[in-house]
Amino acid sequence: MRVVNLRKTYDAAHHPYVALDGVNIEIVDGEFFCLLGPSGCGKSTLLNILAGFEPVTGGSVTSDGVVVTGAGRDRAMFFQDAGSALFPWLSVEENVRFGLRVRKVPKREWGAIIDKYLQMVDLDRHRTKFPSQLSGGMRQRLQIARALAVEPEVLLMDEPFGALDALTRRRMHSVLLAIWERTGKTVIFVTHDIAEAILLGDRIGMMSVGPRSTISRVFNVDFPRPRDLAHPEVAQLFHEIENLLAPDVARSEQAVAPS
Amino acid sequence: MVNVRDTKPGLPQAPLLRRASFSRLRASINPGRYRGILLSAASLVLAFLIWQLLSTFIFNPFLIPPPLEVIRTAIPMIMSGEIFADVSISMSRILVGFFSGSLIGVIFGVLLGRIRVLHDLLDPIMELLRYLSPTAMIPIAVIWFGIGEMSKYFLIFWGTFFIVLINTTAGVWRAPITRQRAAECLGANRLQIFLMVVIPSAVPYIVTGMRVAMASSFMSIIPAEILAADSGIGYLLQKSSMLLQTNRIFVALLTICILGFAVDRLFRFFVQRVLARYMSYVSVM
Repeated sequence: MRVVNLRKTYDAAHHPYVALDGVNIEIVDGEFFCLLGPSGCGKSTLLNILAGFEPVTGGSVTSDGVVVTGAGRDRAMFFQDAGSALFPWLSVEENVRFGLRVRKVPKREWGAIIDKYLQMVDLDRHRTKFPSQLSGGMRQRLQIARALAVEPEVLLMDEPFGALDALTRRRMHSVLLAIWERTGKTVIFVTHDIAEAILLGDRIGMMSVGPRSTISRVFNVDFPRPRDLAHPEVAQLFHEIENLLAPDVARSEQAVAPS
Repeated sequence: MVNVRDTKPGLPQAPLLRRASFSRLRASINPGRYRGILLSAASLVLAFLIWQLLSTFIFNPFLIPPPLEVIRTAIPMIMSGEIFADVSISMSRILVGFFSGSLIGVIFGVLLGRIRVLHDLLDPIMELLRYLSPTAMIPIAVIWFGIGEMSKYFLIFWGTFFIVLINTTAGVWRAPITRQRAAECLGANRLQIFLMVVIPSAVPYIVTGMRVAMASSFMSIIPAEILAADSGIGYLLQKSSMLLQTNRIFVALLTICILGFAVDRLFRFFVQRVLARYMSYVSVM
């Protein structure tokens, strides 16, 4: 995916707000790219634009050379709130089947596809359960299986594990990395957690605080996985990013607090 | 130190033991389930008892007939089938009005929830009309439709329609945007998102609206039948009042209570049986 000179403004109540300005990135096929920034920096906005949910004001977003104008079958979005993203009236199995049905995948292939992806996220023993009967981590795994079943090329993840407890989140990291290594999908992962970005990403795009936020710096993370935050070099990168983010975090708090 | 450690935990131990054995006893008679039913039954029995005593010793039994007297009056009405005739005519009026009102209410509610222009255009009218309760519409309904069935259908329809409409609109309106976007990513087109995501998401709201509307139907059928009918429970009330038959009035009142309760339970049972999967994530009922 490629983003060139992206600009996004909102005209809320005659107060034009420039959310994003001059965003340029190129994400390579098969890459794990993390978008890191404090809250209110527009990283979710950027992800929504990549998904095609929101139109751009200026510049362009292309996926495989094709301009993004709406949600496409090549890009799948994951949401933090799996409870509202899943179809609660459908069982685990039926949630995965939904995409196959609307994409008119031949019926005889459904069984095999559903089996494959439910096994991949280790939910095949729970296939007749409903989302309300699943734990937070299981719901996120179901979201992953449901999206993978329609075979997108890019996975767009908006702080998908932000609402999970620390232990479940760590497990989800290894589940996600295993799936990523196995399927070779491109992942664009939004997070405000430096540790999460370092543990997962090939590259980390750091976003500055809005208005006019942009990707201010890109870090290459070359350490082999699984990564250990206690490793001196990893820790050094962590501190470097933390120090760079610190003024922005303070600024974003000020920006958010009074209004 | 040792002393403190010895005595402090010792204190709660005695009650703990007692509680444990008590809970074992409770578990052995499977309380959670039966205790509720038992208490409900006790409450009713107690209420009847107090009523009986009050109307025998304190109040004038002609104005407030004691329950045994009411039952004595009810038996011939049940045996002759008289009460069932009234119940079935009232119920049929409620059901026709309720189902037609719900159906049209859902259709309009879905449209209003989805089509912004339509909502902005019709909402002010709905906002005004909803204050016209079915009771307020009785006089004009009689002129429009006479005192036959049609006026009763219309009145129940009127009451149901607005309640279901408002709830459906809210439900469609609040279908989570993330869920719609997720469906979009999975390849669903606009029509599919509407039919397979938005409407199912609105089901709990629709069901709640219908349940409230059913209760309101019971409220509105009675004045409608009192003022403009020659059959039904409301008419029974009206006729008994003219003849000063307080016993029969109380039979009719009790009938309304029992009928309303039974219908609501039936509705809940149906929802739990048929629509459970749409309700699983909300505790509306």
